[in-house]
Amino acid sequence: MSLASTFYNTLVKRNSVFVPAIFTGAFAFSIGFDLGITKLWDTWNKGKQWKDIRARYVEEQ
Amino acid sequence: MATVHLSKKAVTIPTTVRTLSSGVPVAPLVNLAARGSAGSGHGHGHGASGPRSDVPPRWAGGVSRTSSGLLSKTFAYPPVTGIHQKSLLHTSAVVRDAPQVPDFSKYEAKDPATNRGLAYLMIGSLGLLSASAAKSTVTEFLATMAASADVLAMAKVELDLASIPEGKNAIIKWRGKPVFIRHRTPDEIEEARNTDWKSLRDPESDEARTKKPEWLVMLGVCTHLGCVPIGEAGDYGGWFCPCHGSHYDISGRIRKGPAPLNLEVPQYDINEAEGKMTIG
Amino acid sequence: MLARLPAGALKNVAALSGARSTSLNAARSLPRVRFASSSASSSSAFESFTNSRVTLASATLLTVGSIAWYANLYGTLPFIGEVHANSPAEEGLHPAQYPWSHGGLLDSFDHASIRRGYQVYREVCAACHSLDRIAWRNLVGVSHTVDEVKAMAEEVEYEDGPNDQGEMFQRPGKLSDYLPPPYPNEEAARASNQGALPPDLSLIVKARHGGADYIFSLLTGYRDPPAGFEIREGMNYNPYFPGNAISMARVLFDGLVEYDDGTPATTSQMAKDVVTFLNWAAEPEHDERKKAGLKAVILFSALTAISLYVKRHKWSIIKSRKIQYNPPSSH
Repeated sequence: MSLASTFYNTLVKRNSVFVPAIFTGAFAFSIGFDLGITKLWDTWNKGKQWKDIRARYVEEQ
Repeated sequence: MATVHLSKKAVTIPTTVRTLSSGVPVAPLVNLAARGSAGSGHGHGHGASGPRSDVPPRWAGGVSRTSSGLLSKTFAYPPVTGIHQKSLLHTSAVVRDAPQVPDFSKYEAKDPATNRGLAYLMIGSLGLLSASAAKSTVTEFLATMAASADVLAMAKVELDLASIPEGKNAIIKWRGKPVFIRHRTPDEIEEARNTDWKSLRDPESDEARTKKPEWLVMLGVCTHLGCVPIGEAGDYGGWFCPCHGSHYDISGRIRKGPAPLNLEVPQYDINEAEGKMTIG
Repeated sequence: MLARLPAGALKNVAALSGARSTSLNAARSLPRVRFASSSASSSSAFESFTNSRVTLASATLLTVGSIAWYANLYGTLPFIGEVHANSPAEEGLHPAQYPWSHGGLLDSFDHASIRRGYQVYREVCAACHSLDRIAWRNLVGVSHTVDEVKAMAEEVEYEDGPNDQGEMFQRPGKLSDYLPPPYPNEEAARASNQGALPPDLSLIVKARHGGADYIFSLLTGYRDPPAGFEIREGMNYNPYFPGNAISMARVLFDGLVEYDDGTPATTSQMAKDVVTFLNWAAEPEHDERKKAGLKAVILFSALTAISLYVKRHKWSIIKSRKIQYNPPSSH
């Protein structure tokens, strides 16, 4: 069975599966998307953010 | 600026022969009713009715004399016999053997299963992203209803525990209300804990009201009508409300008087390592 | 031209113009031509209105009048170049564009620079300039740790109260307090600065044309006035300041502060740091905003692309439908 048919038969065929799958997917997506963007942001701004320089000042205590 | 106005002029020219849009010739001045002499017993359109077999039957039209000449009306469509102007306006469907419809076959999906899967994947993704965006929108909107940062910053009060000696009360202001903080002595703790709290008006154990037995933290607002009770007063060694005479014990529980509930305990944290307490 | 006007139009002109119709007498006296199709319909009435000379005249009057009114009200007209008596230099030189560490679409603030900039503000600018809208708590997690900020706040005495006796009292600062102003009020500030008011710096980057570039240029742009430039006593020459004479003297000199991270404190380094700090003070939401913008652009592009696909999918049935008519073969 092809990938498309597997996808259709497992997720789409029943609406009672399809709609919950969309909502759980949305939940997982928003977490994953946030993590991904944060990672990209931190890589792009490496060494500039407070969390990068925080260690210097906490150790003084 | 000026617009062009077309003027229409209808000119009526009597014609001798003209053609209906269906291709039927009309010759008003020709007597089409003049039929051949061949005998047609009943003359309603079948059998040999005249010199030409294609002459329409009488029921299919007729000729009448009008002021502008003879008028022939035809309701049927006999084959055109020799007239000789093209019909420019079609009033009937053109029958074709092979209808000229474009070929759409190249747009058809190669594999219906893949096509269906892709379509549902796209629709599912649209729902997924929309749900995610809607969730963020609702969350952000609800977040605007929360207290703003400056209010939250004012809403926390920190104080030094070492500044309150044992057996003393401290009253501080927190969110516009007084807060009682009592550093209780061991005797008072024992008294508070040994009370038969289950029989009180608002039954609550002293353990449930304190995080650490020495420190009692309460909102200094009488639960009756909102006066501020006086410390170290009343019949039970705790607080006494001067307005209507409510007596609270050393755990802040209502014992006597009109107040219905114990003094409220706010949210607070004790940081023992630094000797500090945060209320709020 | 008149001869080409339709008769209906002229009739309407005569009706509209009423008492002022003497000038149109010539038009009225033209021979009436009646066309078969010129009967009054709604569209030809509209056309006669739009084609009439009264409409033309009043539209022209309206246009000229509104332009004159605008020019009178605002002094200038949009999209039209102007000639000014004073030179661009007198309005302040345009600052150069500097490559700020937070300049790009995805660039966050350089927080080490914000920390150094706060030091410059505290040791230099705060002598005259307030920073009213920044509270101590705002520095937490941006440039300083909680304990550092608490220690800094406690060095300042704030008035609080009233206490049980109804009197105001002094107490050490807390995280929720705002940065202390150098002067108690505007009058005190003017009295100490020869009548000039040092502006509050909370939003100064947003409040000045040119933003961060302008303030950096201003701080580093002090120089001797050119020959012939008269400057009053107590004023200073700065080509970037409108009018070129500024009450604030040059304050940043090499080695004025000592950075705790060992960065050499040159004039331009200090200017860059304090401008970064002031830019943060004006836009504390800057980092989160750019991050949210990145997310929004990605999410909404994907949503647009997918919804276009789904639209095509839904319409494909209608768009690829064949309609074939088979007439009855005989009857």
